[in-house]
Amino acid sequence: MNRAFAPLTMRGQLVLVAAAALVVFTAFPFVWMAMTAFKPSQDIFITPPTLFPRQATLANLERLFVETRFLTYLRNSLMVALSTVALTLAVATPAAYSLTRFAFPGRDNVAAMILFTYMFAPIMIIVPFYVMMRFLGLTNTHVGLVLAYTTFCLPFNLWLLRTFFQSIPVEIEEAALIDGASRLQSVLYVMLPLALPGVVATGIFTFILAWNDYIFARVLLSADELKTLPIGIADLYNASVVDWGMIMAAGLLVIAPVLGVFVVIQKYMVAGWGAGGVKG
Amino acid sequence: MTRGGERSTAAAPDADVARRRLPPAVTGWLLMLPALLLLVALTLYPVLYGVWISFFNKHSFFPQQTWVGFDNYLYILRDPEFWASVWRGSVYAISTIVLQIALGVGTALVLNEAFPGRNLVRSIVIFPYVVPTVIAVILWKWLLNSQFGLINYLIEAMGLTDQPISFMGRNWIMVSLIIVSVWQFFPFVVIGVLARLQTIPQELYDAAAVDGANALQRFFHVTLPQLMSVLFVIVLLRSIWMFTKFDTPWLMIQGGGAETYIRTLPIYTYMRTFSYYEAGLGSAMAVLMFVMLAAATAVYFAIWRREQHL
Repeated sequence: MNRAFAPLTMRGQLVLVAAAALVVFTAFPFVWMAMTAFKPSQDIFITPPTLFPRQATLANLERLFVETRFLTYLRNSLMVALSTVALTLAVATPAAYSLTRFAFPGRDNVAAMILFTYMFAPIMIIVPFYVMMRFLGLTNTHVGLVLAYTTFCLPFNLWLLRTFFQSIPVEIEEAALIDGASRLQSVLYVMLPLALPGVVATGIFTFILAWNDYIFARVLLSADELKTLPIGIADLYNASVVDWGMIMAAGLLVIAPVLGVFVVIQKYMVAGWGAGGVKG
Repeated sequence: MTRGGERSTAAAPDADVARRRLPPAVTGWLLMLPALLLLVALTLYPVLYGVWISFFNKHSFFPQQTWVGFDNYLYILRDPEFWASVWRGSVYAISTIVLQIALGVGTALVLNEAFPGRNLVRSIVIFPYVVPTVIAVILWKWLLNSQFGLINYLIEAMGLTDQPISFMGRNWIMVSLIIVSVWQFFPFVVIGVLARLQTIPQELYDAAAVDGANALQRFFHVTLPQLMSVLFVIVLLRSIWMFTKFDTPWLMIQGGGAETYIRTLPIYTYMRTFSYYEAGLGSAMAVLMFVMLAAATAVYFAIWRREQHL
């Protein structure tokens, strides 16, 4: 970006070769997944394997919708992930605003605690958390699962929003206040529009975290009609005969929404990393 | 970032100039309170509760519990399988961290160069990180399948072996797990390093070029010192998260993998709790995991400080 691009230099060529190798390494497994998803079984198990299906088929997708509860899992996943995003953003946005705009006693301790909990991994709290949920009668409910996701999404959320809010100059709000706006007005009409991209990006990151979780859903849910996609798919895989075509089709559908939002947020990931824009 | 932005970051405590009815400390706390309550109830309390139940003989599903003092800890510390799982977990964590850092830094250097389509390539390279673990694992299990897997076909076609390799078998499953994990998590390093690389002032490179430094010297004397602070954080977070990684190894052994060969500490903790229903033992293992990580983090910080002083 600072250096000019010179396509014919040795260095430029090496960079292109390396970039191509990286693309193959990271993207080819997905290409293979997509191709498998559209292959009839005789093409899947053929030797030598072909990249493209010799005869593309939608039978794998059809089996996924007809023979499994894929749509139920999808609906559960969406519901739980969106609820988690709503809950964590609702409490984290005012909290992060408070952390960056108000001096209150114990503030630094709160920030330190958020960072501390941010570093936690699910396995470190899942045993007591499970016992707690069992005591509260929240195992095998989506409410319990949303609370479980809050344990790791909330610290993540707070940490990210705090950095986004820090990057918005206080002077802008001060100017609004001097012009006679109330604190609430300055927040609603000045701060929020400026912070909105950050809040949206945080919401999307949180969605991905919740959407991808395996361990909490595995432990907390046993009823098939409550399962989310990751455990639904893991169970399809654990069937006695693995239906590779159908599983690859399921995988394709699961990463589709992630791919969709990812195109939008990729720039925030690189820009916002200091904020801890990634976790896991 | 603008000058104003930097100031606000530094001067946030004094930012409070508003005229309002409540004192700022009260408003600050009120806005903080809902998040804080959830955090304490859902994250901090379970940690303390986990320490508490680690002193009980407790079934995972039923409420009965009997106080056993330190018996759970004594049992675990004498359990050879515990130490074996710590060892496997360390092998897994250290090898994946080293590979992630090496591959991640190299990738970030490439993606920081100017070339056509760079933004697209960045997106593609980072993408494995946001894919659900279950998809990443199943995808690789398909690629590494011993009968119909593409990779086995390719290495046989290249004449590297005449027998298909059983990648989920005992000799290879750790290697397979490491490959999948590095593929899945090295983008984290790329993201962090790339963000930092973009802020290294060009003047440093210009000065080094004037002094006649070659590319290798520029990397070791300009780039690497600038990267040290972000690498410190990356190594810390990756170590914590790889040492506690559950879902990738767990999903690797589903559907017939050589389970005992990648039974890391998180897996063993999970099994004790949810397969043997020993919540007290499982909690004690989680506490020990926590203590080991805290100790390692303290050592890491101490080494880092000493290096800084040298």
